[in-house]
Amino acid sequence: MHQINKLAYYLVILFIILSINFSLPRVMPGDPLSYLTDPGADIPPARMTEEKMERLLAYYGLDKPLSEQYINYMVGIIRGDLGWSIYYSAPVLEVISGRLKWTLLLVGTSTAIHVTLGILIGATSAWARGRKKDMGLLISILSISSFPSFFLGILLTILFVIKLDIFPLCGAQTAFATYSSPFEEIFDILHHLILPVATLVISHIGGTYLLMRNSMLGVLGEDYIMTARAKGLSERYILHRHALANALLPIVTMTAMTVGFMVTGTIFVETVFAYPGIGNLLYNAVLYRDYPLLQGLFLFISITIVGANFIADMIYIRLDPRVKHE
Amino acid sequence: MIEGRKILGSIGLVILAVFAIVAVLAPHIAPYDPHQMYGRMEHPSSRHLLGTDNIGNDILSELIYGTRVSLFIAFVVSTISMLVGTSLGLIAGYFDKLGFLIMRVVDVFLTIPRLPLIIVIASFIRPSVWNLIAIFLIFGWLMTARIIRSEVLTLRRRYYVDATKMIGGSDLYILWRHILPNVVPLVVVQFIMETIHVILAESGLSFLGLGDPTAMSWGMVLHDAFVCPVIYGSDIWMWWMLPPGLCIVFTVLGLTFVGYALEETLNPKLKSSVIGMEL
Repeated sequence: MHQINKLAYYLVILFIILSINFSLPRVMPGDPLSYLTDPGADIPPARMTEEKMERLLAYYGLDKPLSEQYINYMVGIIRGDLGWSIYYSAPVLEVISGRLKWTLLLVGTSTAIHVTLGILIGATSAWARGRKKDMGLLISILSISSFPSFFLGILLTILFVIKLDIFPLCGAQTAFATYSSPFEEIFDILHHLILPVATLVISHIGGTYLLMRNSMLGVLGEDYIMTARAKGLSERYILHRHALANALLPIVTMTAMTVGFMVTGTIFVETVFAYPGIGNLLYNAVLYRDYPLLQGLFLFISITIVGANFIADMIYIRLDPRVKHE
Repeated sequence: MIEGRKILGSIGLVILAVFAIVAVLAPHIAPYDPHQMYGRMEHPSSRHLLGTDNIGNDILSELIYGTRVSLFIAFVVSTISMLVGTSLGLIAGYFDKLGFLIMRVVDVFLTIPRLPLIIVIASFIRPSVWNLIAIFLIFGWLMTARIIRSEVLTLRRRYYVDATKMIGGSDLYILWRHILPNVVPLVVVQFIMETIHVILAESGLSFLGLGDPTAMSWGMVLHDAFVCPVIYGSDIWMWWMLPPGLCIVFTVLGLTFVGYALEETLNPKLKSSVIGMEL
């Protein structure tokens, strides 16, 4: 029953996101096309040819009544038709899927490292509660979290690219490179991946760290930990067998939210490192005011994040039966 | 422990005070009008302490006026969010049916990814300080409302509330006199968290080029520097990129420290949660 409720809730959210996406260009002053042809705009509008204009008009279907536009839009989405990118002159879905692998690589790697580090540092900190080690970690991580991801990326660029020159400036691969072996290609990709991943991990570590620390502090106050101590078990054994597993529970939900933060974070990190993924695409869409692409990306990113949250909710219900009764 | 909290809080307060003074006294402190054009891309000199940017504006003056823009947006959004969020949270916690409705709206808005939507809306409207404020306000009140509501849910079951009811205190009187004072610590901490969130979101949006071009915030200065093709070519980044970035970092740091100290002082039961924003 609980699962069905959750599913219905997420379907409503999906419907609302789709509706927001539909209304945005239509409720703003003027019509969507006026932005693209506005001579007063401070951003160079993408070159508009007659053909592109027509495609755009057809996509928005502004000559038809609103209800018909809405139905057509929904049917289009179900069919996977996200419109036509003005800047790239290609279907939005095609443009997005072409960039997807890089973002998957970036977000996947970062999430894995982020969660592992967050758990380890958080648990260490809580275990040393109130001592110098704990306070040091807490203050360092609070401070690191004050860096906006784009500024952190810029700092890492200055240090490791400009000053030390040990990492490439931008991109996901060396341009026009020919590889003599697959290992060389993998090495090149990893070489380009390190700085963006480091930026994403460092700028987001605070959330998981604090959650793990708090969760662990809560668990350490439980009766069964005291029982374990009373039984004379070693501290290491208590930490690993009794405390850690139970403290990990909230991290499951957090991981899904982390994926959401990471996907949002890629907008900035991929921009700073010109990493050819979804986030960089969004920056370009903003820069050139490519509205169909921008809206397609908004839908894509939102559905990914909401989907991740849905999965987390489902897993959580299975892991912690107490949730059902709340 | 106690000492650490006090030291952190004091450091935070000093940082915030400096920025607040700079924001208020900007026209008196700034050496030049930030829109006045001088020689382009000048290196730091006694005339222009942080040099000039690609259109010849004095960077130091831009930053000083930028303090105004960044802090003003954050302050207005957090204040209105605090008032709206607290009121709705109180109502939602005290009146069941209304509360159910309000909380459904809050849940839905909190599930929709905040930053992507803000970016899309900001690209559709003409960027101006007030438009940015309006966009941030859509989401600003949500967390406050949720947190205040859950606190009110427990507060309203206290004996003193029942006692006040018995001697004929009205709902409004109970909310105002007995419940509101008890949620003030939460409201204050939430206000700081929202300020941090808005400063980071605004600088992020401006960094992407979606800020108000007539009122440069720190993020906009960073954006201009970032899109400049020769930015890494020489040492320009030292006076064009580092200062605006550090301004953002120090403001957030100041707020984080004050928030942490306040949270530990006002509500020791609460676990520190000042960070974890989505940037």
